[in-house]
Amino acid sequence: MNKYVKSIIALTAICAAVALLLSATNMLTAPIIEKNESAAANEALLVVMPEGEDFTLMDISSYTLPETVTEVYAESTGGYVVKLTTAGYSTGMVIMCGVDATGTVTGATCLASNETLGAEKTYGEKTVGKTVADIDTVDTVASMTKTTEAYRNAVKDALNAAVILGGGSVDLRSEEEILKDNLSAVLPAAEGAFTPWFMVEELEGVSAVYVADNGSGVVFRKGEEFVLDEALSAVVVGSKTEEMDTSAYELHSSVTKVEKSSGGNYVVEIKASGFGINGDKYYDPSGEPILLRASVTPAGKIIACETLQQSETEGIGSACADPSFYTQFNGKDETNYKEIDAISGATLTTNGYKTAVGRIFETVKILEGVA
Amino acid sequence: MQKNSNLSVLVKGLLLENPVFVLVLGTCPTLATTQTVIGAFAMGLAAMAVLICSNVVISLLRKVIPDTVRIPCYIVIIAGFVTIVQMFMHAYLPELYDLLGVYLALITVNCIILGRAEMFASKNSVARSALDGVGMGLGFTLALLSMAVIREVFGAGSFAGIAIPFIKDHTIDILTQAPGGLLVYGLLIFAVTALTHGKAPKKKSFGCEGCPSAGNCMSCTGKEEN
Repeated sequence: MNKYVKSIIALTAICAAVALLLSATNMLTAPIIEKNESAAANEALLVVMPEGEDFTLMDISSYTLPETVTEVYAESTGGYVVKLTTAGYSTGMVIMCGVDATGTVTGATCLASNETLGAEKTYGEKTVGKTVADIDTVDTVASMTKTTEAYRNAVKDALNAAVILGGGSVDLRSEEEILKDNLSAVLPAAEGAFTPWFMVEELEGVSAVYVADNGSGVVFRKGEEFVLDEALSAVVVGSKTEEMDTSAYELHSSVTKVEKSSGGNYVVEIKASGFGINGDKYYDPSGEPILLRASVTPAGKIIACETLQQSETEGIGSACADPSFYTQFNGKDETNYKEIDAISGATLTTNGYKTAVGRIFETVKILEGVA
Repeated sequence: MQKNSNLSVLVKGLLLENPVFVLVLGTCPTLATTQTVIGAFAMGLAAMAVLICSNVVISLLRKVIPDTVRIPCYIVIIAGFVTIVQMFMHAYLPELYDLLGVYLALITVNCIILGRAEMFASKNSVARSALDGVGMGLGFTLALLSMAVIREVFGAGSFAGIAIPFIKDHTIDILTQAPGGLLVYGLLIFAVTALTHGKAPKKKSFGCEGCPSAGNCMSCTGKEEN
């Protein structure tokens, strides 16, 4: 029995002595270790804020910040270093951005990414000196639009986060949310459910039309304003389109469908060759040409244009499905439809699209018997 | 030099009883930390510090620690010193701490330290145990350094991180990898065996006796396992 007790006492005593020694060592070294780790972290933060002095990790749980913001370090002179995670061509692009007390970008660097072309490694330099007012003026990089646009948006998020953390307010709603809110403000009875109406009739001063899903009304966009208009609503509700039998006409083979509206306008659906254009023939590596449609007046003026489907290179030619691209053709005619901004890095897609729009004008002329 | 003189205790670890090349202990950290000279030197010094401290304390407590719980007691003491060394390196040598990584904590289970505690410190005076710690620590450090010099110079074309002209363009890449490490290890064991021919201790003189499990091992005690 004595033997066991002696063993237990000896082992317990040694454990206690070692524990005491360790706690004493910890008391001595812990502050130094903490200081070293803080200095190492500061070193990384100094890359994007070279003038920074001391950084403290903030608790951002009580703030409503852009979704891309994952960490914020407050700098002692009033600036912030914001860590963001966004998605460019692929997910997981981690960006560190410094914003000084005046709301100006002091530096931005990409800590990790899975992008293929590497534009994110140096793009941050372009954003230095920008503020929330002019960050959108930083150009994206041709052929790397998606990556650089995501990067620029992340830096904008960092600038917005700095404004919010500084006590200001920023509208963080997406474009879709803003549109929905604007429409709901004009027509609350629609309960937020609207469907864009493809304009087949000319409506004076109207750039877009949204029909309430529950039939409670129609909202028109005139410039920056959203309005209700009974006379125009009657045109929209009364407008019908009917597919035409085009067998009697010699239309280009790329024309897939022609409709005529009750107002006498044509809606032409046509295939466009995208990446890899080859004269008049289709040459599309994916086997899926771009499909677009445009409503055109008998006089040959485009009322509206939109891309119905496409399988162009993601992040490059796929921009042809972006309203900012295809709405450029609205209001154009045969004399000026080529005067649109091309898609960066996707000249072949743009040219294919333009060629198809040109064929729509030819189609309308044939149908009107003027060709 | 007398076999049991203090000087012989100090120098035997350098070559005749070198823990790495003769006793073949601590092979894992030897292979893992000898890719760079700096890493090997840091590991050698850290292990030496733990070896000296644990040898001294175990020797001090050798008459207090009951035989039945000696191994747990040794492990607690060694783990305590390893953690202390870790804390100090983390605080004052953070770059080396990061370089050694998990291998620093693994000094706790380094056979050299437990082996010397069992073979020497538990049977000798504090002063001689300290000398044994210094000698074995130096032997371990020298062994790591000799391996690291060969691996870094010919494998990476640099010495302590400084590129060596000409060699850096004609490196033997495999030396920086595990198979290359084993190859160098084998060649150095061959060289040390050749150098100490007839003088190095035979296996039986340190084999079972020095093994921490000697008391329980069937082949040592001749007892059948239950």
